Amino acid sequence: MLGKQTRRYGTLSLALVMAFAIYLMPAFVTDAMAKEAYAGQAFAEEAFAKEVLAEEAAAEGEGEPEIEWGQDVFYKDWEGNPLKGPVSGHPAPELGESDYNNYEFAPSRMILWMANQQHLYFGSFVLAVPIFCMLIEFIGIRTKEEDPIMSAKYDRLAHDLMKVSLTAYSWTAILGGILLFTFITLFPGFFKYMAGIFRPVMHVYALMFLAESGVLYVYYYGWDKMSADPFLKWIHCSLSVLLNLIGTVLMYLANSWATFMQAPGGIDEQGRFLGNIWHVIHSTLWNPVGVHRILGNIVFGGGIVGAYAAYHYLTAKTEEERAHYDWVCYVAMFICIFGLIPLPFAGYWLMKEVYAFRQQMGITLMGGIMAWLFIIQAVMIGLLFFGANSYLHNGMSRVKGAHRYMKYAKYMILLLIVCFTMWMTPHTIVMTPAELKAMGGAQHPIVGHFGVMSAKNTAVNLMITTTVLCFLLYQKANKKITVPWQTIGNCWLTAIFIGAAINIIFLGVYGYFLPANVRVGLSVPQVTTTLTTLFVGTAINISMFKDSESYGEIQWGTQSKVGTYAIFLLAISFTWLMGLMGYIRSAVRLFWHVTEVVRDNSVDAYTLTIGEAGKMLTFNTLFVWTQFVVVFWVASLTVKKGAAQEPEAVPVPAQQQQ
Amino acid sequence: MLPEQADILWTYMTLAYTLFAFYVFGNVVQHCRENERVNGKLWGGIFGVFAVISFFETVHMFDLVQGEQITFMFQYQVLTVLAILLTWGIFFKSQDIQNQSPPIIRAFFFWSTVSICLAGYTNWLPQQRSDPPPKAAAVSEDLTMEEFVEMGRVIVFGAKQVAGQKSIGKGQCPLCHTFDPGDHIGRCPNLFGVQERSEKKKDEERYQTHPMKIGDPEPATGIVKGTPDQVPEEYRRAGSPDFIGEDYLRESLMCPTCYVVKGYGNDGDTKSPMPVISKPPISLSPVELNAVIAWLQSKDTPGEFANVTVPLPTAGSTAEEAPAEDEERPVFVTGNEPIQDMINTLGCPLCHTIPGVEGAMGALGPVLHEKTNAPARMKDPNYKGSAKNTKEYVKESILNPSAFVVFNEEAGEAYPDGLMPTTFSEMLSVQALDKLVDFISQTEAPPEG
Repeated sequence: MLGKQTRRYGTLSLALVMAFAIYLMPAFVTDAMAKEAYAGQAFAEEAFAKEVLAEEAAAEGEGEPEIEWGQDVFYKDWEGNPLKGPVSGHPAPELGESDYNNYEFAPSRMILWMANQQHLYFGSFVLAVPIFCMLIEFIGIRTKEEDPIMSAKYDRLAHDLMKVSLTAYSWTAILGGILLFTFITLFPGFFKYMAGIFRPVMHVYALMFLAESGVLYVYYYGWDKMSADPFLKWIHCSLSVLLNLIGTVLMYLANSWATFMQAPGGIDEQGRFLGNIWHVIHSTLWNPVGVHRILGNIVFGGGIVGAYAAYHYLTAKTEEERAHYDWVCYVAMFICIFGLIPLPFAGYWLMKEVYAFRQQMGITLMGGIMAWLFIIQAVMIGLLFFGANSYLHNGMSRVKGAHRYMKYAKYMILLLIVCFTMWMTPHTIVMTPAELKAMGGAQHPIVGHFGVMSAKNTAVNLMITTTVLCFLLYQKANKKITVPWQTIGNCWLTAIFIGAAINIIFLGVYGYFLPANVRVGLSVPQVTTTLTTLFVGTAINISMFKDSESYGEIQWGTQSKVGTYAIFLLAISFTWLMGLMGYIRSAVRLFWHVTEVVRDNSVDAYTLTIGEAGKMLTFNTLFVWTQFVVVFWVASLTVKKGAAQEPEAVPVPAQQQQ
Repeated sequence: MLPEQADILWTYMTLAYTLFAFYVFGNVVQHCRENERVNGKLWGGIFGVFAVISFFETVHMFDLVQGEQITFMFQYQVLTVLAILLTWGIFFKSQDIQNQSPPIIRAFFFWSTVSICLAGYTNWLPQQRSDPPPKAAAVSEDLTMEEFVEMGRVIVFGAKQVAGQKSIGKGQCPLCHTFDPGDHIGRCPNLFGVQERSEKKKDEERYQTHPMKIGDPEPATGIVKGTPDQVPEEYRRAGSPDFIGEDYLRESLMCPTCYVVKGYGNDGDTKSPMPVISKPPISLSPVELNAVIAWLQSKDTPGEFANVTVPLPTAGSTAEEAPAEDEERPVFVTGNEPIQDMINTLGCPLCHTIPGVEGAMGALGPVLHEKTNAPARMKDPNYKGSAKNTKEYVKESILNPSAFVVFNEEAGEAYPDGLMPTTFSEMLSVQALDKLVDFISQTEAPPEG
């Protein structure tokens, strides 16, 4: 009954939705990119009108205006003057000893850090999984007619992920409760101020959580029932869209507290709320942090799912299971890398906004006390590249026809090692005067040349380009190209990569002859070159696959252990890196709870040494993974129960299948 | 974590290792029950002992503070874990058991090894802790101009200087500005010769008109350009209302956008990216701001203060001094302090008599005449340390005081072991330790007479 006709309607509806989304997109983009103008025009007019009315009322002899006006610390009107708003809250408190509580066994700040980080890790996971499920389920629906087996595989994967996510969801809520209690009990003065400003947002947040739970339960528990009917299946898939929308709103609301603390808006210098809650939510870092976190969630979620699948791959008892989890590893890694590529650009946007907010905050990050943490970040990114390349190299071994390209792997690894070494060479290090004298200055006469940005940009761009090349080779490993222009295509690919390498190295060397402020600009053509290899290279590569013959299917289930451990390495690196970058973003406030408004007067107001922070990051990484193991184990209990109740569902050993 | 608290990572690891030990015990017992040929009592006993040892190691770890925990962890607990792993392997091999350790164990060790290596890497890098700037307090006595200028220099560069790194004080100026001729980082103008330029500024056409005219108020700060008599009262200079060099410097600090040097502003050089120094986050007090101006006016003529026009602060003015809560903070010395200050901060004089350090007359520990005593002690049959020379001996004594307990000849017994703190590795930077060792290695009895 709901066959082709439904599909036609479905396609039509989808086209309408897409068209509407495209129509709406400029509005959202404009909003995101020009919020100052938005504030200047929309809100300044409102505030100005109120001010004029108040002044008129005062001039007409109705007595002193009752409304007190304050100047916004961030928002400006169209003339560039601070925006005025009616004072609608109390001044920020000068926190004293009685505003902080502590336990004897650990500093309050560490306890809060742990509670916050654990909640964020789980929150990130449960926000990422519905994105995967939405995509995977959609692909499953679209491939149902062409390849029902693959479609069922996709559907099973999405369902399995959701099952894990469901347990993790409750866990996230519990961790959120712990975080809230930690704030209230250990930092009551600060939390009182934040609650005073964000009171309505917190209530909306709680309600959104309720909505998220409702949709999540319908989505998960209605899976089997709604899969029976094609129309209901589409409704089910739409629920995942709704789930993601609510999840995104939840995340953005929670982000507003953190971004307000880092770069406040909507309050005056005394910290008094100026009556416009949107200004407080929509502070300058809100959008870039939101985008960065969505991408980060995808990458982190991919890492977790990859590690989950890799572990099951190692423990699989049957060939079928091994093949399934090997394939899941691949899908997870693909999603992960897909999210990783645009992540640095979101990071650049965030840093740009940080610099725009307070230049010294940006410099503290990139050239001040936080600069070493960015060196550590560089090392972590290097690890990610090693992990990703190692996975691809090992993954090639299960692809028939890959022997043609395997011989290049060693050269790519060599290049990665050289670039990684350059990438992590520090500019200067702390030395004793005697060491300084022995070296002849703060920089080593030879190695010091590799510590500057020219060398580092060159190194990282070459690493990305190498990874792209590796990926393209992986893509074409089992393909016998038959298009008539294959020679030209291959020549183009070769030319693009060699040209890119030459251009990147030339720009890097050229940078040494330019002053610093001009040299900075060279990173743009270098990144553009790298992106060209990614997009143009992939486009040419895929175009060449038309009518290609296959050397054979990928032999899922034959991934080497090294390749599997490479996925573990990626997962650890993502977890640790996420903690590191979160720490950097938060610690750059230095001794402020809310930058320039609420000073941190606790005994923990100092900025940690790198070593202390590193130990805490390692603890958080290990602790969250312990919890993930528990959550996965709890989720697996339902499978065991189901299997016990339904003996016919026990997987048939491969030998018996044959 | 504070030095007197347990470390969260090592506490976690010790729990994990004990869980692992019990897991292995359970695993072995299970194998023994499944295979009748395996001697269950023997192997169960061996791994049971391992589990008990590991359990007591964990209990002991809870009694230690973080400096001791790391030593204990790597000296004993990691060895125990390695011994368990080795014995487990021997058990599997000797009993020819195929179904060996599950991947969760291998994954755990991979996971924890990579993560701990990352933590180790961060501890290998230079360590620098940043304390919040102190809050305002009163100047208790009158200063000389030299001291006042020095106060300004410290606000700019900070009291601590680390070799090979540009030090940055409360004012955060060196993040963007340079001060020596020819030095340029491209962020903000070089301030060499700024005193001379400040005197001529009011006559410059660009100053008079760009980005606002003299007499115009700057909305964000409320400062009226070029009018020293309208500066907020607490920052205002006494005397004539004429605009002098000092006023330009003060205006630049309190209202950076009142004048933007060509090429260094945003929005077509109409807005300065510099923060308002008298407001958060830097928030210099009037006295501090004047101290910075005094330093700017005199920095190009070291030792000469004729160009300084700001008045000296009087007793009772608001300046900055170390916060009272400093005493509650963990002790840490960077090595940039004078040696006497370092030794006093570390509390050595409470127990030791140290020649060359005023007031160091403690008697709870041995007298520090290490130049002469150390070589003799290293030859002592009771010496169990590994030092080969005086400096190594001194360093060892600081970091591991129990390596050799000195005999108190006057009392006829050894000095009490365990009295000296073992947390100096937490209190000293590498540079500070070297400096302390250099000094202590040279201490000797003062010449008689």
